Amino acid sequence: MRNMFADAPRASLTAAYWAFILYLLLPLTLMMAMSFKGANYIAFPIGEWTFDWYVQVMQDKQFLDACLYSIMIAAATTLAATILGTWIAMLIVAEGIRGQVVIFAIACLPAVVPGMISAISLRIFISTVDMPTGTMAIILGHTVHAVPFVVVMALTRLRTMPGNLVDAARDLGADSVVAFFRVTLPYLWPALFGGMIFCVLLSIDDFVRTFFLGGYRPTLPMLIFAKVQGGMSPEINAMATLVLVVTAAVGLYAEYMTRRARTR
Amino acid sequence: MPRYSTRIAKIVNSSLYRHTLGAAVESRWGRLILLAGVPLVWLIALHIGPIYQMLKISLLSHYPVQPGVESHFTLANYRLFFSEALYFSPLIKSFIFATLATASTLIVVYPVAYYVAKVVRPEGRSKALLLLLVPFWAGELIRTFSVIMLLANRGAVNVLLREIGLIDRPIPMLYTSFSLGFGLVYLICLYMLLPLYSAIEKIPTQYLDAAADLGAGPFTRFRKIILPLSKDGIVSGCCLVFLTCIGVFATPMMLGGPNTVLFPETISGFFHGASDKWPVGAAFALIMLVTALIAAGIFMRLVGGRKRSAI
Repeated sequence: MRNMFADAPRASLTAAYWAFILYLLLPLTLMMAMSFKGANYIAFPIGEWTFDWYVQVMQDKQFLDACLYSIMIAAATTLAATILGTWIAMLIVAEGIRGQVVIFAIACLPAVVPGMISAISLRIFISTVDMPTGTMAIILGHTVHAVPFVVVMALTRLRTMPGNLVDAARDLGADSVVAFFRVTLPYLWPALFGGMIFCVLLSIDDFVRTFFLGGYRPTLPMLIFAKVQGGMSPEINAMATLVLVVTAAVGLYAEYMTRRARTR
Repeated sequence: MPRYSTRIAKIVNSSLYRHTLGAAVESRWGRLILLAGVPLVWLIALHIGPIYQMLKISLLSHYPVQPGVESHFTLANYRLFFSEALYFSPLIKSFIFATLATASTLIVVYPVAYYVAKVVRPEGRSKALLLLLVPFWAGELIRTFSVIMLLANRGAVNVLLREIGLIDRPIPMLYTSFSLGFGLVYLICLYMLLPLYSAIEKIPTQYLDAAADLGAGPFTRFRKIILPLSKDGIVSGCCLVFLTCIGVFATPMMLGGPNTVLFPETISGFFHGASDKWPVGAAFALIMLVTALIAAGIFMRLVGGRKRSAI
């Protein structure tokens, strides 16, 4: 009796966990399933199954161009955010620097401000500096959004780094720059790699900043959004499924690599 | 390694390096400028600058300024917000939706966070967490789009209910308050998970064992030990979810209807519609930001304060 009662909470929690997994995955699964429907409208049951929508999507110039455009923006964003984030992190941990708490707070500000506010303030900002909406503005907005995450990841790693590694390099004749590239950067690499993958995913998935800062050329989220507003079709499901599968694969790969680096 | 060393040596010994970076790092000021220059410029220009510009423009009468029109400082943009229900009603709706979504998320996610933190064996926790995080890699737009599959008139729920004979005609769930609320919770529930997991994981298992030895049942242990000690996680999770929810932009446009226009949509109209209404949009955006932060601050004070007094 007592044992049965004692097991009830555990069983309930296990059920809650798997119910939650189902809750998270069910809409996405249904969305993916609908992409195989052999009709040009969205409705259950699926009935006839087909791959036609994928063939059509892969031949869609607009979709392919949006993919290329999003990847290009993500690459630029990741490069800029990694450099800036690492640099800011180095400033925060440096000896003899005052106001580290303030610097950290300012560095993390874009992550705390709601996305909508961030997008609007950037839209106003580029207007005041006479920058046109479009590619450069999007990259700038995505970079601002991504920098806080690189800072946090780099800081976490830097704070576990033994100080005497750099001291030894300096004693052996390396100057600050050489010590950074030969000692600090290799040590930081696992965290930076994770941060870079995170930046790519943040950039490719971003919608609100792109909505306010973008020009006429659509990114993937903008294209999907425009098509949803224009009317439902399994073609949208195929596009969304392709994006989902690729980003999930990239995310899992990053998780695997980061974990492996951590245990090394 | 030899190649690497050789290349580094070449770079360091080249005259270009010695007269630029090499010279800069010789002096203390040079190292300081090298370290702090770029970060500070970026932080001031791009992290503080946009908010400052938004504040400044919210006090102008016109922006962008059309030829022949003069712009001056005024508080009219802020007064406009309070003068019409058309403007402050959406903010109230946003707060209601965000509050309800935050509360729902806490209730839904807490058992899951506790399970992963305390019931799953330590070696299995990474996998349990990873399984939860996979859907997170789908962006806001794709996850919102997925909810439509579930709730549409010919979506999975309505078709299932009709198949088992509970209904004759579809229940209109899409483009309603329900679909918006459901979509918000679905979108943001993972933001609640990690803070809760971190806080619960830190609670020593010995506390629970001691309580059990003294005769406390599962519910008592939860109410007296787990809940109070995970308060920090609850506070940070709720604040994170609330702030994220208040600023969500695509979901209300895709899942909401005419009766559920939230504040982000109202603000957006000032930037994509009329050409000189930016100051109003900026003022409204700042009102949203300040009220959201005040609400979060009050919440932290109310919930967190008891912990302080308890200590």
